[in-house]
Amino acid sequence: MFEVSARSLTVTAERLRRSEIFSELCDEDLIAIAEFCREQTFHEGEFVLVEGAPAETMFIVERGKLALEKKIQIGRHSTPRNATIGYVEPGKIAGFSTLTMPDEYSTSAVCLEPTRVIAVDGKALRAFLETHPAAGLKVMRILAMLVGGRYRNATNTLTYFLSIVSHELRGPLAAIENYLQTMLGGFAGELNPKQKRMIERSILRVVDLRTLIGDVVDLARMRPEQIQADFEWCNPGEIGTESVEDARLAAAEKGIRLIIEPPPKFEPIVGARRRLRQVFTNLLNNAIKFSPPDSRVFFRAWYEQEAVVLEVEDEGPGIPEEDLPHIFKDFFRASNVEQTQGAGLGLSIAMKIIEAHNGRILVRNLTGEAGKTGTRFTVYIPRDLLTPEMRRREWIATESDQLKG
Amino acid sequence: MAEMEKRSYILIVDDDPDILEGIVTILESQPYRLATARDGKKCMEMITQEIPDLLILDLLMPRMDGWGVIREMRSEPRYTHVPIMVLTTVIEDASRRRYELETGMAMDIQDFVQKPANPADLLQRVEKLLKIHV
Repeated sequence: MFEVSARSLTVTAERLRRSEIFSELCDEDLIAIAEFCREQTFHEGEFVLVEGAPAETMFIVERGKLALEKKIQIGRHSTPRNATIGYVEPGKIAGFSTLTMPDEYSTSAVCLEPTRVIAVDGKALRAFLETHPAAGLKVMRILAMLVGGRYRNATNTLTYFLSIVSHELRGPLAAIENYLQTMLGGFAGELNPKQKRMIERSILRVVDLRTLIGDVVDLARMRPEQIQADFEWCNPGEIGTESVEDARLAAAEKGIRLIIEPPPKFEPIVGARRRLRQVFTNLLNNAIKFSPPDSRVFFRAWYEQEAVVLEVEDEGPGIPEEDLPHIFKDFFRASNVEQTQGAGLGLSIAMKIIEAHNGRILVRNLTGEAGKTGTRFTVYIPRDLLTPEMRRREWIATESDQLKG
Repeated sequence: MAEMEKRSYILIVDDDPDILEGIVTILESQPYRLATARDGKKCMEMITQEIPDLLILDLLMPRMDGWGVIREMRSEPRYTHVPIMVLTTVIEDASRRRYELETGMAMDIQDFVQKPANPADLLQRVEKLLKIHV
């Protein structure tokens, strides 16, 4: 009896040695670990572990193949989908969350073919590694490498995927929008009122789609240093005019009056022109989207000592108090806007752009204030930002000052 | 015939036939002479036959891309005066950065329009470029 058990322990230990994670351990350690291992087989399509469940077991694939899947949900109400983020082949492990906080699986693993695994009891493994620090260190070093590799891989895949998708989708959309604009402009013959309305609606829907795609792509690229690399002298008045132009059709569609209150004179500022336009176009479009028909949207600008301030205010239903702390988060959509389309990225992108300008974006619920309803977004952009060229010159100046000193 | 000669000649280059048809339909509303090409190589061939008064150019194209066309146009003395309007889905900052990285020079173009072009805006820009440069 003892003989058989000892032999099967040796067999399991030998299999453990072939796995990446235990490849550096000595025979003694492997045999000790084999004591709390068991072999398991799974059918094709069966889940070995599920994202979010307590990570109690780590799995080493012996034969077959697992797909690592992550649940993706865009917006609150859409159907969650599973995206494959990697594969686990013989010798590799799934469920290494077993060894790390917060002890729950970060992905699901599903069998792509009949799969045999060695299931390692997580609690026992942790206890063993704690009492055998030399072995623990070796395992943790390999684990860190594996986690790092998977992380790098995921980011690369995501960025690559997003850039491909964006390019692939932008081309056809541009062609469609171009045709629609050409027809709407009467360049391909007169339209009757009904056709004209349908084309106008189509343009709005295509623009929504283009914005959505742009947002998803932007999110991947929205790093402060990338935004700051585009800093240049620009006129906030021109940026405002362009944003109003972007939003005009949507406003006309709902009979919304855009009321513009500019300062007596616009002074130039340093900023990322195209990005700032994106912020105000987004705020205006949001205001229009959530406003009742025939209401007003105000777009104001003024100068303060240290900042130029731009403000967009609507007469819509306002944002529920409980949602206010979340509106700048990725993919967040307020609980009272189910009927309105969007991915919930516009404000989080706006926030990232304004933060890259060292600015502030404030939101205020007007509903409840002296018979008013609506929301007001106020954006502060500092007036002392530097272009990359100015930063370079400033740096050279301080360097030479120091040399002189 | 003399009348014909005075009409501005515009060459439009894009690999997307639908974009070409849309742009041509818009520009046909004006008394321009129009020609089209589907890639950079064909564009350069056509320019050797007749120098256009304006080049409307996409960037991402097969065979020779738009950056390549700009490089050739700006290094050949016979063509340096031809105004170029870039019309593309690529964003302006990224387009200019790529040209600078490849050539070490600023991208010498006269206008940049991101697709899709608004027809009225496009007509205005074309007219302005022709007025300045012809």
